Amino acid sequence: MALLDVGVMFAAVAVAGAVANRLGQSVIPAYILVGMLLGEFVLGRFALPVIGTAYVPETEFISLGAELGIVFLLFFLGLEFNLDRLLARRGPIGTAGTIDLANFGVGLVLGWLVFGAFLPAFLIAGIVYISSSAVITKSLIDLGWIANDEAEPMLGTLVYEDLFIAVYLSVASALVLGGGDVAAAAVDVGIALAFIAGLFAVVRFGTPLFDRLVATDNREFVALRAAAAVVFVAGAALALGVSEAVAAFFVGMAFSATDRVHTIETVLEPVRDLFAAVFFFWIGLVTDPALFADVAALVALAVVVTTPTKVVTGYLAGRAFDLDVRRSTRVGLGMTTRGEFSLIIATVAVTGANAGSFDPALAGTINAFAVGYVLVMAVLGTTLMGYSAPFESVATSWLDRGGADGSGASG
Amino acid sequence: MTISESDLPGVGKKFEIELGDGEEMIVVIHNTGKREVFRRRDPDADSEKAFEFSDDLARTIGSIIEGAYFQPVEPDTQETTLPGGILLEWYELPPGSPLVGETLESADIGNRTGLAVVAIQRGDEVLESPDAGTILREGDTLIGVGTPENCEAFEEILTE
Repeated sequence: MALLDVGVMFAAVAVAGAVANRLGQSVIPAYILVGMLLGEFVLGRFALPVIGTAYVPETEFISLGAELGIVFLLFFLGLEFNLDRLLARRGPIGTAGTIDLANFGVGLVLGWLVFGAFLPAFLIAGIVYISSSAVITKSLIDLGWIANDEAEPMLGTLVYEDLFIAVYLSVASALVLGGGDVAAAAVDVGIALAFIAGLFAVVRFGTPLFDRLVATDNREFVALRAAAAVVFVAGAALALGVSEAVAAFFVGMAFSATDRVHTIETVLEPVRDLFAAVFFFWIGLVTDPALFADVAALVALAVVVTTPTKVVTGYLAGRAFDLDVRRSTRVGLGMTTRGEFSLIIATVAVTGANAGSFDPALAGTINAFAVGYVLVMAVLGTTLMGYSAPFESVATSWLDRGGADGSGASG
Repeated sequence: MTISESDLPGVGKKFEIELGDGEEMIVVIHNTGKREVFRRRDPDADSEKAFEFSDDLARTIGSIIEGAYFQPVEPDTQETTLPGGILLEWYELPPGSPLVGETLESADIGNRTGLAVVAIQRGDEVLESPDAGTILREGDTLIGVGTPENCEAFEEILTE
């Protein structure tokens, strides 16, 4: 029956994706929702005619597929991450990204006020801080903004966030798996950071090795070897108790400097899309909507607080790139979209609960919060981008009272 | 001619080409190979998407624009384009051309390309209505009449 479950899962996400696309919305919330509907917490609570109680169980394949989804998402992030590019524009990107870090601080305060402890606050901070590379990039292309000046601060800030989240995830994993006591976890954090430094050295000096690994014109071999490298390293990282996502990110970064980077992207993109869909479906599957009632207030609070903060930091990021008020407003609106990484951070808590080092009830709450928050923010962010015109006029009339201040599109 | 290039992390590359009068053409080359061409009427306007091409199509279009696909005819005088779009063209036989050493008969230009060779310029003299036995030499200039397609076909056998 497991094969049928997987078939039902793929059919469901395919339909959900098509529907979301028709509605001009991001596919991510649709995948999560359909996972939730078909899981034990919704479908499992109803007796169906003829077949009785039937739902898609969280099989090993699905949870492993979800894990592969995380690995490939981060692998691609590393593949498209270019350190030299970041350093070349480090002035404006650094400014924009550092302003954006204010959102992390806001999340930390919010989490502390609600949970009264450092570790959950630290996780909430990550969840509300990180914007969604996948959804924002897709919206930019769909709206044609990609050719405008607002694309650069948005993508630049995302690159900064990606680098931050790589470090953050390894620290968060170490803290969660280390039992949550910050002092006792200091060693684990040290190990995690040493691991990052080691991976970084591999990236910096191991490029010839990675180049040789994929130096073949046979696309099948390129796909197999790249997948082997990333899944093997990620698996080894997990076995050592460090974040598999971070390991995958650095493997991607190592491949990004090779000549075959385009081939790797072309052959593995469908693999990433497939398993990423499984990941979002799985998130829905393991989320009990009944928990939403408990976290509804927290989600509402987070939405009300962190939407404006992202708009403001995004706006200032746009200004740091010398954009005019109208375009900076677009940057702010676009950056509000949260997505896949917030969910990946939530899985850190779930993994910790499964490993017995994190309070399962708290993990369930944080996961439900992350899912509810992402469902709202992915839809809200996409919608704000699509209907940005009125916001632009309001911002222009408020902030541009001195008329055009000359800082316009950089020609 | 100002062309600025910028990276779009996770998407590809963007080229902004100034066309004068503040108008810009923006080409986005996606990592997937997809190309998007936008037009921006003035620096403050939004880019309007004009076209989208696949990788293969984009390369073909590129070579058309480059002139590698079809050489535009720049007539020295008006008379070279005859009524009905017929062209009168001058072709010099380059060194190593496969036509060198052939006779007009063995080269079979008329049947192979549709171009009619009406005269051959050799140094200072002009052989008008050259007969089938005329041997072609390096440096000869063939004067032919034909449609643009005939000319194109002839250009191919001239150098192949």
